[in-house]
Amino acid sequence: MSKQQTRRPGAIAFNAVILGFSLFMFWQAYLISGFSALSSPGTFPMAMSAIMVLTSAGILIKSLGLSSPGGGFTGFRKEILPPIVLLFSLIILAFSLVLKPLGFLLASFLFLLSSIWLLERGRFGRALLLSVVSIIGVYVIFRLIFQVVLPEGIIPERAIISTIGDYFSGRH
Amino acid sequence: MDAFSYLFASWLQPELLALTALGTFAGIYIGAIPGLSVTMAVSILISFTFSWEVNHALALMNGIFMGGVYGGSRTAILLNIPGAPAAIATAIDGYPMAKKGEAGNAIGLSTVMSFFGGFIGIAVLAVAAPAVSEFAIKFQPRDYMLLAMMGILLVGALSGESLAKGIFAGAFGMLLGTVGLDPMTAEQRFTFGSVELMNGISSIALMIGLFGVSEALLQLHTLHIPAIKQRVDKIIPSLADLKKYLPLSLQTSAIGVIIGALPGTGGDIAALMAYDHAKRVTKNPEVPFGQGAKEGLVGPESANNAAVGGAYIPMLTLGIPGDAVTAVIIGALFIHGLNPGPLLLIEKPDMFWFTVGNLTLANFFMLIFGLTGIKIFTRIIECPKSVLFPLILLLSVVGAYSINNSVSDVWWMLGFGVLGYFMKLYGYQVGPIVLGIILSRLMDDNWRRAIISERESLPAFFTGMLSSPLSATLFVAIVLILLGQTPLWKRFKARGLAVPEKS
Repeated sequence: MSKQQTRRPGAIAFNAVILGFSLFMFWQAYLISGFSALSSPGTFPMAMSAIMVLTSAGILIKSLGLSSPGGGFTGFRKEILPPIVLLFSLIILAFSLVLKPLGFLLASFLFLLSSIWLLERGRFGRALLLSVVSIIGVYVIFRLIFQVVLPEGIIPERAIISTIGDYFSGRH
Repeated sequence: MDAFSYLFASWLQPELLALTALGTFAGIYIGAIPGLSVTMAVSILISFTFSWEVNHALALMNGIFMGGVYGGSRTAILLNIPGAPAAIATAIDGYPMAKKGEAGNAIGLSTVMSFFGGFIGIAVLAVAAPAVSEFAIKFQPRDYMLLAMMGILLVGALSGESLAKGIFAGAFGMLLGTVGLDPMTAEQRFTFGSVELMNGISSIALMIGLFGVSEALLQLHTLHIPAIKQRVDKIIPSLADLKKYLPLSLQTSAIGVIIGALPGTGGDIAALMAYDHAKRVTKNPEVPFGQGAKEGLVGPESANNAAVGGAYIPMLTLGIPGDAVTAVIIGALFIHGLNPGPLLLIEKPDMFWFTVGNLTLANFFMLIFGLTGIKIFTRIIECPKSVLFPLILLLSVVGAYSINNSVSDVWWMLGFGVLGYFMKLYGYQVGPIVLGIILSRLMDDNWRRAIISERESLPAFFTGMLSSPLSATLFVAIVLILLGQTPLWKRFKARGLAVPEKS
């Protein structure tokens, strides 16, 4: 990132939150064992949170001195949080929520389909094809070759895989 | 010597051979594709490989590391976009070469020079690590504390725009590392009454969030920038060229190993310093620097791969990672029940020699894959980002889930992903956070041991520190690093040293 003379939109708010968080953590660190001894469990956390307080205060003061980027909320939306990032974050959130109940295969497929569809700007056929290919690739590499345990959910994949295995080994 | 037989373990076992090849191959592409990084790949892979045998997991990660550091040069040359920070210096002369139609030549030369550099790095690792670990046994607790401090300071100071933000990130990481039950007194720290927090924050979830999710979200800003295509011709470099640039390659490899071995500095800084060195020692380049000088390619490419071997030295002998990638690999070693430090080489010499042999193997694979398959390469690099980023996010979520088969790690990962996204946008580095969480325990334990042995007296602690040559040297180094970031020194440096800028 190149050096900039104007601050980024929202920089003051962010740095202030960081300072507030550091102060809170310092207070919490103090509550562990106070100033009882240099080797107490709370000393190191207190030292670290004190460093956080000092540096974040310095950063906040410095960012107050930089000139305003202008543009208000529009600038913030353009530079820091474009709609696509926000939308994407919501999709990931939804994916994490349904991962366990729906299972890896279905949840991942829906996640890939919706996110590729979004990024491909509406070409549904292409998105469908790409997500099917990707999900098969991921499944083969991670589930079958690397043997990673993935949440099964509502598709009985283990049963399907073992049926296929039985079929090929002639036990059918 | 029984341990030496492990040197070739990965060469002889088909499974390990295949994993190393796979890792190196994947590493080259991960390093090459802008937006994908070795740290990202290794942190996601840890969660998938921790049920494996340690050698299998190591083979894959060594390959990815070796290939990834090299892979960045490909896109630096072809697209003027360094695929990894270590390739920033490569783009300065590599891209002009490609523009003149010498892309094949540039790729070939940088591949062979990376191989040389990588080899020298590994050789130094094999020779120096046993010596360093013998020396390290004599280290006092306070020396470990100072070394860890130096590592974090270096990462914070050199990689970012502001030292304050680097130090903040390092301290934040250290603080996160203390969450949970105190290992010495079992007292609760920052648990807020939650049972889940007693085990601490999963460092793997944190790494995947910071390196995977936040990076993928950031890349959404620049989704639709089209790539430029280059024609690639003959790749195998001429013998005359190799002979001519070998001395320079050896010199810059030495720079690479040393910089790589310093805790806190890695391939990116090594490459920039090597570029600077190449510029200084080449009196009459055939082509001016910045316009396609081959010296400008040889220097950084030898150095960044030499830094790989160098980075393993403090990681394996002191338990102190050299940079973000080795911090992640150390995280993986912890998970496999290994405890990197001076005793590792005594207790597990087989693991050390396996690593040396395996890195050498990965280096050979890098040479082979580097000089072939350029056609496939240009096709894979065109892989649409609209598929790539959803896939990274998918693997991040699934990876975080599979650490403990629990959704709460996914929440941590997402939380750190979002935090990392904002931190990066506002100019904070996330590397020091990861280094901090890895080193937190080491710092905390050693600080307490050191101060207890001085009977809780700070003056005695400082007297002890300044009267031991090693501790005093480390202390002075830390002071110098801090001073080096003050405006006065920066002005002095600006006059004497022209740091190459990304064109």
